[in-house]
Amino acid sequence: MEASHNADEFIPAALAAYGVEADEIELAVMRVAHETFWPPILELLELDTSAVAPEPAPDLSQAPPSR
Amino acid sequence: MSEALDLTLREQAAAIAAGEVDPGELLESTLARIEARNPAINAIVETFPERSREMLAQAPAGPLHGVPVVVKDEWPLPWRAQRFGAADMLATPEPGESGPYRALRDAGAVIVGVGNMHELGAGSTGNVSVYGPAGNPWNPERCPGGSSSGPAAAVAARLVAGAVGADGVGSIRYPAAYCGLTGLKPTFGRAAMEGHHMAGVSTTIVSGPLCADAADARLLGSALYGEELRQGDANGLRIGVIRNEVSEDVAPAVREACEAAIEDLRRETGGKIREIELPELPAATLATVLIANSESLGAVTPERLNRLDPGLSPLGRGLLKYRLLLPAVATVKSHQVRTIARRTLAAVFADVDVIAWPTVPAVAPPLEAPLVELPSGTLTADQANVRGGALANLTGIPAISVPVGTSEGLPVGLQLQAAWGRDDLLLNAAEALERANGRRWVEAVPPLAENEPTEA
Repeated sequence: MEASHNADEFIPAALAAYGVEADEIELAVMRVAHETFWPPILELLELDTSAVAPEPAPDLSQAPPSR
Repeated sequence: MSEALDLTLREQAAAIAAGEVDPGELLESTLARIEARNPAINAIVETFPERSREMLAQAPAGPLHGVPVVVKDEWPLPWRAQRFGAADMLATPEPGESGPYRALRDAGAVIVGVGNMHELGAGSTGNVSVYGPAGNPWNPERCPGGSSSGPAAAVAARLVAGAVGADGVGSIRYPAAYCGLTGLKPTFGRAAMEGHHMAGVSTTIVSGPLCADAADARLLGSALYGEELRQGDANGLRIGVIRNEVSEDVAPAVREACEAAIEDLRRETGGKIREIELPELPAATLATVLIANSESLGAVTPERLNRLDPGLSPLGRGLLKYRLLLPAVATVKSHQVRTIARRTLAAVFADVDVIAWPTVPAVAPPLEAPLVELPSGTLTADQANVRGGALANLTGIPAISVPVGTSEGLPVGLQLQAAWGRDDLLLNAAEALERANGRRWVEAVPPLAENEPTEA
């Protein structure tokens, strides 16, 4: 099945699943957000990161430890 | 007293320490200037003269003794809860002694007002706020940048010489660039963060200074860090530049000014320019946005989303609800992208001292329609700005925006990023750049600050 970012289907269905209401303006905002974010999210999901050695509890104030 | 108001932060501090300026008179003059100039830009959303006078009366003999400053509406004060620029921030804010408040108080500074901010910190423009939009002192119909819109506009309009912002995804650097200021995003965890409603939860947000120049940012930053950011040199600076959309998909005048500034910096420091590659940058940008947005989800429940304050903008309501729909797997992968990006940067910083690219790809857009024209087409300012701002927040490295020119009468900012803990090097490099251009851009004054209608 091909990935879709059809906001008109996805957003109302997802909101209904959570029991969250939204008016027309909010839906319009979410549609724009979805069209902006979803394609790169799908690209991100294509990224296989299973080979990335984890950085346990990264200390963001420091460089990562050399491996 | 007008002359004292227009001094730099460090000059005000030195003049007070030398007995040349009376801090009480400076405070009253500052309040009068805010009253006169602020209506045009809505930078400061609240003053509290009695609290400020009390603060001055109790101010210790610190490095900022008696110097008026502004803090963003993101930090609680003992007498005022933050509103986060919003009618509803999901959390229940309370007054208190935030880290920046304590740092300023202990340094002897006097908080004279609270700076406006983009609603929920969720925008790079400053055109949406429960207080109404803030304006850019260079042109009040243009965006001042966000989310630290008010602190930046206040300093640019010379209402105060220094302000404290917060930067979760570029929120100090974007307004610094739009308003022609020096804005420092510290290494993660180095600057005061206590009392922030996301402290201990956020892995991207830091407090930081917005000032006219690097020496002032060093002084105010040292207070926020709780340690002196020592002055040094940037001799032999190895400058990394990148050839991708961050440097290429940029308005021509911005690109020209930034490239000239990089060359000036190279010449001034006797350094070298080296081309680098960051193949993870596009994924890192998305990862930053996803991590920053998911970290605030703890307060979200479906029931809570169904009773958002109607005073919240439709944009804010829609985006809060959309956060609920972000897939968990994307956030997990975002953390892995963070790991990759941190390792790549660690390797890059073995070869270069700083990475340089435009802070934002175009000058401040109109408040009414914050869109920017780039070689690739028309984008929202938020879409365009995040490309250059996100990496530092994702990885924890420090970054600074410095003014390097103007286009259409509006400032252009260059961003420098350094390795973890090299915040001092960024300030040294910024000072080298100031020397190289004769301090032309840090001393440039916006039209709003040129004419003084009244003085106390």
